[in-house]
Order: sequence, then C-alpha cells, then structure tokens
Amino acid sequence: MTRRVAIVAVGQTRHQAFRDDRVYWENDYEAAKLALEGAGLDKGQIDTVIASGWDAVDGRTISDMHTCMAIGGYLKDSAHVGEDGILALAYAYLRIASGQFDTAVVAGHGHREASLERVSSVCFDPLFARPMGANYLTSLALQANAYAQRYGVSQESAAKVVVKNRANGAHNPYAHLQSPVTLEEVLGSGWVAYPLRALDCPPESVGGVALVLAAEENVKRITSKPVWIKGVSWAIESYYLGSKDLSQIPSLAASAQRAYRMAGITRPLEELDLAEIHEPTSYHELMAYEALGLAEAGKGGGLVDEGITEREGKLPVNLSGGALSTNLLGASGLARAAEAALQLRAEAHGRQVAGAKLALAHGFSSLSGAASPTNCVVILERG
Amino acid sequence: MGRRVAIVGVGLTKCSSHRKDVTYPELVYEAVSGALADAGIGFEQIDAVVYGCMDPFDGVFAPERWCVDSCVSAGFLNKPFLKITTGGTTGGSTALGAYYHVGSGMFDVVLAVASQRVGETIEAQLVLNTAVDPIYERWIGAGAITIAANQASNHFHYYGTTEEDLAMVAAKNYANALNNPYAHLQRHLSVEDALRSRMISWPLRLSDCCPSSDGACAIVFASEKRARQIAKQPAWVRGAGQITDNYFAGDRPWFHDWDSLAMLARRVYKLAKISEPMAEIQVAEPYVAFSVQELMEYEALGFAEPGRGAELIRKGVTAMGGKVPFCPSGGTLCTNPIGATGLIRVAEAALQVMDKADKRQVPNVKTALAHSWGAVIGFHTMMILDKEAP
Amino acid sequence: MTQEEEILIMPGAWNLPFRHTAGRFASRFFRELRDSQKIYGVRCPQCRRVLLPPRPMCERCFASIDEWVEVGHQGTLEAYTILYVPFMGLPPPPLAMVVVKLDGADTCLQHILGGVDLSDPEKSKEVVKIGMRVEAVWREKRRGEILDIQYFKPV
Repeated sequence: MTRRVAIVAVGQTRHQAFRDDRVYWENDYEAAKLALEGAGLDKGQIDTVIASGWDAVDGRTISDMHTCMAIGGYLKDSAHVGEDGILALAYAYLRIASGQFDTAVVAGHGHREASLERVSSVCFDPLFARPMGANYLTSLALQANAYAQRYGVSQESAAKVVVKNRANGAHNPYAHLQSPVTLEEVLGSGWVAYPLRALDCPPESVGGVALVLAAEENVKRITSKPVWIKGVSWAIESYYLGSKDLSQIPSLAASAQRAYRMAGITRPLEELDLAEIHEPTSYHELMAYEALGLAEAGKGGGLVDEGITEREGKLPVNLSGGALSTNLLGASGLARAAEAALQLRAEAHGRQVAGAKLALAHGFSSLSGAASPTNCVVILERG
Repeated sequence: MGRRVAIVGVGLTKCSSHRKDVTYPELVYEAVSGALADAGIGFEQIDAVVYGCMDPFDGVFAPERWCVDSCVSAGFLNKPFLKITTGGTTGGSTALGAYYHVGSGMFDVVLAVASQRVGETIEAQLVLNTAVDPIYERWIGAGAITIAANQASNHFHYYGTTEEDLAMVAAKNYANALNNPYAHLQRHLSVEDALRSRMISWPLRLSDCCPSSDGACAIVFASEKRARQIAKQPAWVRGAGQITDNYFAGDRPWFHDWDSLAMLARRVYKLAKISEPMAEIQVAEPYVAFSVQELMEYEALGFAEPGRGAELIRKGVTAMGGKVPFCPSGGTLCTNPIGATGLIRVAEAALQVMDKADKRQVPNVKTALAHSWGAVIGFHTMMILDKEAP
Repeated sequence: MTQEEEILIMPGAWNLPFRHTAGRFASRFFRELRDSQKIYGVRCPQCRRVLLPPRPMCERCFASIDEWVEVGHQGTLEAYTILYVPFMGLPPPPLAMVVVKLDGADTCLQHILGGVDLSDPEKSKEVVKIGMRVEAVWREKRRGEILDIQYFKPV
C-alpha cells in the first residue's frame, strides 16, 4: 500500500524580467521561505530537500551546493535533479512514499545569467547535431513545423494559444508578463525560427517556486487544505531528431496514460477541472492537448477555437498564464504544479476557477528542446 | 523501516584517461549491457532509469540525453528517466535515487547508471573551477586538491600524521588496483616511489591524488519480490543516506575533522543497526580521491578514534588480508570518472557481498560499506549492503 | 593503422558567456573594499555568527540577514597548503594558499600568503604555520574585487 503524499504549502515570488540585485539562488530562498511560512513550519521540521535546474544555466558546476542551502538543506539528506523542478516534486514524492522521509521541500528558479541559445547548443552531441546549429529553440521549431505541416495547423491556431495565455497572465499577480496581446500582435511579431514568431515563444523570467510536501500522517497538523498527489509519472524520449515522428510527443502521452491510470482517470476532458500545461512554444500546447488525450491527433486547435480551454471553458488550461507569461528556465514545470495546487486550495486570486477539485499539472524538462525531453504529468486532488 | 531493496546486477567498464575507442553512448551501453547480463535480465524488464554524471566535464551538457537509448532504449520506450547531479557524490546520489524509486513501491526494477568522460576535456582543472563560486572565489582556481591538501596539512599538524602514512595508503591502493581489470591506474607503486613522487600541493604528491578517468557504471536495483527471483545472492540495502554541508569551506575550518561524514555515518549506522563498524563490516569502498582522505574516513566512519587513523594503515588493518580491507578495487585513487565514481563504490561493495569480486574478493564478506563525497568536501552519500535482507 | 581502423578525435570548445549577478551583499562587500578599504562581514540575527564572505541568509538558521559588521584586517591562519605546480590564473609556484579567520569574524576567507620565502620546501614549515597571525596587504589601486587584498603576510 503506497503512502499518500500531499502538497501542503506553495511559495512563489513575483516573477520579473530581471532581479540583478540578488544572487540566483535567492530566488529559491525567497520561495522556500514563503512556502515554509505558509505551512507554519521551520527548517528543522523538514526531512529532505530536492533542488533542481541545470548547472550550465546557473553557470556553476554543482549548483546545488547553493540551492540546497537556500531551501533549508543544511546538514540534511538532500539531492538535486538536473531537470525542471517538476521532477524534484516527483523525486520528493518517491522519497516520502518510501517511508524514509515525512516532509520535503522542493524548489526551482529562473535567473538571467546565461544565453539559452549558447548553453542549449552544448547539450547537443559535438559529432552530428551541434555543427548543424542545433539548440533548444531550433529543435522546438523543427517539431512545431513537423506538427503544423502534418496536420495543417495554421499559425493563427497557435497564435490563439498565445492570446489566451497572455490574457490569463494579465490576471495573475505573480506573472512576469501581465499584459494581454492581440492576435494581430502575435502574427505581426518577428520571426525567430519558422514557424515560431517571437510571441509564440515564452519570455525569460526571474523568480522562484517552492512546494512543501508531507506524508499523509503529518498532513492534518500542517494544513486544512492539502493537495493530494493522486497520480504522477514521467517519461523521456529518444535523442535523435531524425529518428522519431516529431509531430507527436510520445513521452507526454506515455506519462499521461500512467498518471491517469494511477489516479483512476478515464475521461480526462470530463473529469479534470483545470490543467496547467508547460508550453515551450504555443504549438506545443496544442500538441500537449493531443498527447494528454484531450483532443485527437491534429485537432488540438479545435479546443481553443471552441473555447474549451479558455478561462470560462469546460477545461481551462493555463489560468496562470502558462510559460508564455512566466518562464523560469528550469522551473516552469514546477510553477505549473504550484499554480494547480493554488487553484485547488482556492488561493489563485484573480485567476481562480470555482470549485476546482481535480487538476493536471505538466512539466517539460529539457534543455535540449525536442531532443530527449522528459515530460512529467502530475494529477492533483483537493483534500 | 520500509520496503526491502537489493542490488541484483552490476556492470563496469574499463576506465582509462581517454576511452578513444568509443563514443559516449557506446561507453554507457558497455556498462548497461554488463549490468543486465550480470543480473540475467532483458532490457525490457527495467521499469525506470536514474542517471548521474557531472555534466561539464564531458564536453556535452546533459549527455544522458545523447545516451538515452543506450540505457535500455529508455527514449524509444518512453520510460521514466531522472537525471541526478550532485558533484562528486553524483554516483552515490544516483544509487540513492534508484533505491528510493524501488522503495517507493512504484517501481520493481530500476537501473542506476553513471558515467564520466573526463578524457574529453583537455584541461579538467578549468572545468572544476566552474564549481567555485564566481562571485567570491573563482579566482582561486585550484579546485579540489587545495582543499584536500588543507585536510592533510591539518591532519599532520593536529594529529602527527606523516607523509609516510599517506604513501602507505597510496601503495596499498595501487597494489589492490592490480587485481581490478576495470581500474584506470594499474602499476606498481612502493612507499618509496610514492615519497619520491612530485609534490603538487603540500603535503599532497602526485601519488596522493586521483587520476581523471573515463568510465561508466550501471547497477540494477530490485524490490524484494523481484530480487529473490533474479539473483542467487542479492546485495540487500541495509541502510543508506546523504548529508549536505554548506558551500563555504571557510565556515568550517577544522579540515582535519570530517564531522559531516561522521554525522552521516551515525545516521546510517542507526538505520542499518550497526553499532561497531570494525566488528560488523568486513569491507569498505569509500571515496578516496586523495590519500589522506582514507585516514580521515577510518575516523569519521568509526573504524578508528579521532586522529588515530594512521595507526590502521601502519598496522595493515585495512590492507588485503587485514581485518577490514579498504578499497580492494584500488578505489578512487586509481580510478576516478568523477560522476560515476560514487556508483562504482556501490558496485564494488555489491560485488563483494555477492561474492563476484574475482581476484579482489575479500573472504567471508557479509556486510560492505560504500561512500562518496563531493562538493567542497561537504556532500556525502553512504550505503550499507548485506548478504541478508534487513 | 589502416583507413578502416582510423579513430577520429574531433576538437570542440565551449564558449559560454555569463552575466553573474553578485547581488546586494557581495556588491556592498566589494564596494567597501574599494572605497573605504574596509572588510565587512554580516551577522546572523539568530546564531549571531559574523559570516565572511557576506551573504543574504544564514544556512544554519535559514534566516535572512541585514546586519553588517566591520572585521579586522588581521587574523589567524587556520589552514594552508603550498602549491608547487602552476595553476591557471594564479601567481606562479611556490604559492601558499591559506584559510584566514579575520579578527571579529566567525568564518574564514580563502586567500594567498605573500611576503614569505617559500623557495626551500624544507624551510617552508617554519615560515607558514597553522595558528600564526597574518595581516591583509592591500593593492595600490583598488577595484572592488577580492584581490584588492593582494595577499596576507605574517605579522
């Protein structure tokens, strides 16, 4: 019998374009402090911490020497995942489920110290891909185009995702970008890598996100609003772009299926009250709808057209504004889980969907874009 | 206590200064296929993969992405896959990751993989320097060795340890490596040779320092039910854990006293119900990157009183044939593919428990200890393995 | 080696630019070095330790810090090593790297020792000793960097 685990507190900073007055790990510290204060816990009551992110982005090897300290890890049993922070959530879940730990802090950050283009290029092998200019964005653009061409998805379809998410972000007091954009503005923004225009791509944001997790026996002493992790799964994909069907995201489909099964979900579109999807580009949100079984292959755009994933729709997606409004490089996935948890705790001021009980959070963990991304799906339920 | 977890298969690669004969994915495949063969299972039986390496050394950041399909076709099969990076303890943290994967009850058979290709880097020191905080300390571009030299210099000052004591540790480990076909440095090194070796950072000589190696390692962890099906003699995890000290070594200038390791050892011994290490553990594979660290590990791990580590090496207690051999594989001093090394310590301890350590087998092993350290001598992992399930 | 057996080695290099934000604490520390020739630590409100280098939080107490404390220019040598091989970016060997606890601070700075003759390894033990008193020697033109303290010398 697996031990149940809940999110018992959420902390996040007000995300911004730059915070040059702080060292990068102060983002993790501020978020962790907010989360612990929110839970009424001090560091002494935490058994383990899991930090996250990529050393190349932080510009320091063994970055966790700093980030673990920043989130209460001093002299504790800690770890660091070289992934988006949503995988720190997954790993902390495993640690608590094992029975060896009762409470955990997980955190992630975004800071503006590195060139995404340059650091992501060194993720690609030096023999075949790197000489061809492969980097995070170019690989995602290749994927977006493969999807668009295969299914005849228009630029307008993808642009509508941007309009939706930016409109939602405008209601999120924590979001980096809090201004809506029009369809014309999206379609008029400059080309970055076809078919991606500037506004099809998320910004780069600075901030921190942290969660406190606890085992079921401890939960009622900490919070009256636990958010139970009903299902969690993650999956990786093959590396070589040329050896897979880029028009799909099988790692997301696989992790969704496993997470749904764990949570007992058979009809996600009906059963979920909201979803927070980590969209590395606007096209990827449409692809994600399909991988999550919310729409058939190639038909993701229909959900947006019909208003199903709008704020007032049947299954609102990215009420927080998504990565298109706040993009912490290395923690946008964790931010999705945090936002979903806030919705279930009825603390998502300005962006709250009424009566939220069951939510999906998704993270896209990859510095190498469409090459071997790890997709993670978490199903959360209000306690 | 939690679910019982065991190691059921181990795969190692020959380590060298540069494995020019293989690409990164090929090197990883060598370790993974070795582990599967050792366990006698097919790749499809792996439920999840945990992967560790210290990225910048390999010339490819996040090389596990490139190597993903060498890991039981994880990408092709969309398996759960988690990357761990924790400096020198990466391999140890990877073992812990796999242990908790199985311990959670979510997975039955989990593959831990760790790799490093320091040989791809022309100047490894430059990479190590990026571990140093760029705001305050990056200018002190001398990395790991100066910290270890502080450990040695303090141990001499406070405890009367001598250069000869260090040389004896080196000579012992080099001799042990000759029995290990996977070791990087395989040559004769007498105490006299060691004492004549070039001084690098006083009092550490070249013979007191680990090499930079290419290598990979893979270990199959399994739940109790599957472990009993797969292996004749699994290596059961009796206790395991990690400790995280702060970054600034200047905050803890007692370099002769590895108290963070002592704290972790107390915790893990309590979990493993070990009260007298010298009596209850038959072999140890701790992370000895610099010779003096072995003496400090004797003390911190409770095999010697504080300050009296040198007595053990002088009396041959930790040599092959002694009461508790340390580093029968030759250890990190002879082989150091940094991100993989911590996992190799676990692999070597597991081989001892499973009676598969060939020429480096210590007789009558029931319980073995594996350890790794990392960061600014502030991270430690530990795992105790046993012939019997806890 | 025949054409079939030829193994290729391909060159590569990472050229990764960064803009590291020093944050308020390090920035003030360096400013004080440059402008007032003063060395500052910060005091944790809970454990009361004076921490050097300055940092925004105390890891032990998980507490935010805002109290600045000036520390002395003299201190005690807690640990050292002497480099005998050249390391990129450092002065040439023999070079003594030291860990110094400045008067008034509870934690130590890593730095180098200067003004000593290390040419004879046998005699070095008399010249550098754990527990000896040392003093900061300042760079003539200070720039707001840790090397504004050029080195520490025996008192």
